[in-house]
Amino acid sequence: MLSERREPVSRPVEPPFSPILLAGLALAVVPPRLLQPLFDAILAVVRRRHPDILDRLSDFPNAVIGIDPVDLPFVLVLEPWPEQPRLQVHRDFELVQASAVIRGPLEMLFDLAEGRIDGDAAFFSRQLVFEGDTEVVLALRNAIDGAGINLEEDFAATLGPLARPLLRASNIGGRVYRRLAEDMGKISSALLGPLLRGSNTQSARIAELEQQVAELRRGLKARGRG
Amino acid sequence: MTVEGVELVCPAGTPAALKAAVDAGADAVYLGFRDETNARNFPGLNFSRPELAKGIVYAHERGARVLVAINTFPRAGQPELWHRAVDDAARLGADAVILADLGLCDYAARTHPDLRLHLSVQASASSAEAISFYHRAFGIRRAVLPRVLSVAEIATLCAGVPIEMEVFVFGGLCVMAEGRCSLSSYATGHSPNIDGACSPASHVRYRDTGSAVVSELGGFTINRFGPGEPAGYPTLCKGRFEANGKLSYLFEEPSSLNTLDLLPELIAAGVKAFKIEGRQRGRAYVADVVGAFRRAVDAIGRGERPAVEMLDGITEGGRQTAGAYERKWR
Repeated sequence: MLSERREPVSRPVEPPFSPILLAGLALAVVPPRLLQPLFDAILAVVRRRHPDILDRLSDFPNAVIGIDPVDLPFVLVLEPWPEQPRLQVHRDFELVQASAVIRGPLEMLFDLAEGRIDGDAAFFSRQLVFEGDTEVVLALRNAIDGAGINLEEDFAATLGPLARPLLRASNIGGRVYRRLAEDMGKISSALLGPLLRGSNTQSARIAELEQQVAELRRGLKARGRG
Repeated sequence: MTVEGVELVCPAGTPAALKAAVDAGADAVYLGFRDETNARNFPGLNFSRPELAKGIVYAHERGARVLVAINTFPRAGQPELWHRAVDDAARLGADAVILADLGLCDYAARTHPDLRLHLSVQASASSAEAISFYHRAFGIRRAVLPRVLSVAEIATLCAGVPIEMEVFVFGGLCVMAEGRCSLSSYATGHSPNIDGACSPASHVRYRDTGSAVVSELGGFTINRFGPGEPAGYPTLCKGRFEANGKLSYLFEEPSSLNTLDLLPELIAAGVKAFKIEGRQRGRAYVADVVGAFRRAVDAIGRGERPAVEMLDGITEGGRQTAGAYERKWR
């Protein structure tokens, strides 16, 4: 059973220039079905360690929630149905009738899941976009934020004896990632800097012209009254 | 200046937010049950009875108090849900309940004479006569003041009433008719004061037109945000409308109250509790704001001015205001 069809997306969030975007390019050739076991495992962890998430979503037993990490070449579809919840990987939402869709860079979605950033603030700043049933989106946001998720602890609990070496590898990977992200930020600034400066100059010129037009209009009005 | 007895009252929409608030230095946490008995009845938010029981244990073990907001107005002829909320809060060991309805104040005072009662901002009591009445009639021990008063008016009020005064120091603003506002009811058919949700999410839509994001409430277009323009809550009072040929925020602009600079004046005025708004916000917001105000109150306690803290990133519309406390528009 599916909810209403979502409205088409005309302006998705722009993916940031980051290592995740590059990894996404590599993943573009991987069929989504090969990634499915990973997300089956993630859902199993959620059900075991954070049953309150599904409990808080229990008012929406037929919801179909699209999650679009904009820097990856696949999307996720969460069906938080009480009896048989599912988290599926798709290439896009073409064949999905979603109640709501949430879009944002993967890093931001992880930050939201772990409560490192505030969902409303991300929305106010327009870095996070959602469409469709606002009630479902809000329930999911509150359910995840309220669960107190700590991804490292969750994976450690799941991996058992493998946890320690894998987490150490993950920490090293994290350091490499941060360094790579920093370097890519520098490359991005070097490439876009001249363009942005040109754009800023043009914006300032447009603002100046707008002010002149407004002054001319006021002058004409005053002359008309005189 | 002494800050002895000044309490930092912090929001919690979920158990994780309660822990974040307590860990960040809250003296008290306020929260609600997962139903229409409180004014933040949003999907996926609030506490079940077992969650409240655990939350109270967590807070008490760390020296913090838990206040339960039961601050909507019972539906005519159906007060049972609200009575049960008061009974359960008392049974589970809440330190106080925050009430707005006269009948519910009476019920709580008669049924649970040892339960501490606070008067919610939803009661809209802003005069010494009104507040003293609630104290005489029901033994109310603290009143949360509506956000309509200047610091000088709060000082006069504090001197004229026999109970503690609590004021909002950070967070979202209402158009200053709390408990009596019908804007959202008009647009959606659901009352914030009875159903517990202003601009209920079930009636909110965001539409991407390609050049802008349009927000709608109950089918009414209430705002249009251009690319990169900070967004705000989808409430009618923060809608942008055209009047006399001019497009503007007719009621109020999307911005958040921030009184970090005013805390010493509020303490000098006699205020006994500082309330941070935001039970609908995430645990990151709670940790950031509570931490900032904890440091500020502690700094005042040491005789220092509170340090300037950048909270722009978590404010509505990316803007802050001192609201009615300074009343610059007068």
